Amino acid sequence: MSQRFVGTVIGAVLVGTILSAAAVKLAAQAPPPPKNPPPPGWIDPRNPPKEDPNFVPTKTPDGQPNFQGQWGQASDIITYSIEDPEAERAGHTAISGQRPMIGRPIIDPPDGKIPYLPWAMKFAEVLHEEHLKPSKPEYLDPVSRGFQEGVPRINYQGAFHIQQFPGTLLITYDYHHSYRVIPLDARPHVGSDIKLWMGDSRGHWEGNTLVVDVTNNSDQTWFAIVGSFHSDALHMTERWTQTAPDHIVYIVTMEDPKVYSRPWKLRIDFRRQPVDEQWENAVWEGNMLGGLPQDFWGAAKK
Amino acid sequence: MRVRSIGVLSVVVGIALSVALARVAAQGAAPPRPADVPRTADGKPDLSGIWQVLNTASWDIQDHQASQGVPGGQGVVEGNVIPYQPAAAAKKRENFEHRATADPESKCYLPGVPRIMYMPFPFQIFQAPARITMLFEYVHATRAIYTNGTPHPKGHIDWWMGDSRGRWEGDTLVVDVVDFNEDTWFDRAGNFHSAELHLVERFTMSDRDHITYDVTVEDPKVFTRPWRMSMVLYRRTEPRVQLLDYDCYAFDRPFHPPVPQ
Repeated sequence: MSQRFVGTVIGAVLVGTILSAAAVKLAAQAPPPPKNPPPPGWIDPRNPPKEDPNFVPTKTPDGQPNFQGQWGQASDIITYSIEDPEAERAGHTAISGQRPMIGRPIIDPPDGKIPYLPWAMKFAEVLHEEHLKPSKPEYLDPVSRGFQEGVPRINYQGAFHIQQFPGTLLITYDYHHSYRVIPLDARPHVGSDIKLWMGDSRGHWEGNTLVVDVTNNSDQTWFAIVGSFHSDALHMTERWTQTAPDHIVYIVTMEDPKVYSRPWKLRIDFRRQPVDEQWENAVWEGNMLGGLPQDFWGAAKK
Repeated sequence: MRVRSIGVLSVVVGIALSVALARVAAQGAAPPRPADVPRTADGKPDLSGIWQVLNTASWDIQDHQASQGVPGGQGVVEGNVIPYQPAAAAKKRENFEHRATADPESKCYLPGVPRIMYMPFPFQIFQAPARITMLFEYVHATRAIYTNGTPHPKGHIDWWMGDSRGRWEGDTLVVDVVDFNEDTWFDRAGNFHSAELHLVERFTMSDRDHITYDVTVEDPKVFTRPWRMSMVLYRRTEPRVQLLDYDCYAFDRPFHPPVPQ
């Protein structure tokens, strides 16, 4: 008799939908859990180890630095919040039971906070207010609704595979079968009227660094569940540098003059993982996780 | 003068004819191999690139008349008959009646295999020695076809897109697909399967811009015998064509931050 094994990983739809007045009340009453020690092997984005300036990666047959393999973040970044996950601890643990994580990936500005323009800071505060009990579907994290993560959030969501071909670097992410095709020739971006959930990427090599220009971003993605956002003017420049056989340093510069007062930078340290097969990771509305209903409308009406 | 040029002409014709006859004789009875398909370093036909069907199989895999919004189409099913068991044939008719809401595509679920292959959207194939990756514009679906001799994992697994293991038989990529859920259809006409679905796909490049795509379908719970579909995948040759988005689950619920103009 064959085992019934549901291999499909269910997305984070649960976050918005099991929230209720009771959960919020519980969070307010309970004392905050103690600070977690850093997990083993943690790389603090704000205090990273020294890099070996003489390291040279191997090359692919067509001469690219060889970044191929399976990678995942070692920075303990949680998609719940990228600005201050420890401050969000009470709400986060009340919802998910997950171990709160401590990575603060924003390395510029030094305070680790997104430099919003005044109007945008007000809206970010509204989203933050609403995120535990959204009064409209638009105030629920898009990923919790099954929408795509966007860049750079997909990079700290979970593991991914890099494959390299002449003229193209391909990233296939485990989460929600997301992918990014990064042409390495000098072709122009698609036209500005086309917005893409994962942006439009164009890459080139500068020594051992892959520089990726990401434009044409849809304005519908958030960087975190608590509601950090951008407009469709978002322009990102990623720098992926292999600093050791099992280490890629990723720094992305985020620019959006409609929303931010200045560019800001986010860092992720990726560690090489043993290569697994990439199995299906489907996400769809109406998922059941552990018997809890995932129906947002049902939960919101209660 | 005239006589001499005719003589030259007949000599030229004679040479051309004998060369042609010699070539045919050398080839024997086998059909000529397509000479100009691109190949990978290990000598296999290289399926890499962006491809798309030009048929109407996503509406109905069998012959169908046009109707409002639905083009007429010649079916892709060999013999145009899908050999349903009697109870399954009734289920198909019921699916067809309720297709506007019963079709899993109407909820923007992953469409399964082979339906993803003939959705009217482009897809991109990347061919590496151990794995062929297919990326689909439709709902950013993906297929990982492992060509490294590994077996299917211990089943049964309820996946939307199944588990694919491929091998080369000469210049044909043969892919064995199992581990399906029962929640996908073959088209918008209600043709369906159970979790026992088993596919054998065959990809053969007939020339550098065309792949003949055949699928043998087996499902002992639904059909009385295996049956086949066959169609052509066309290479998208526009100079800067790329995949875009079709995230149908997000169409009716957009979020746009209130950016001041």
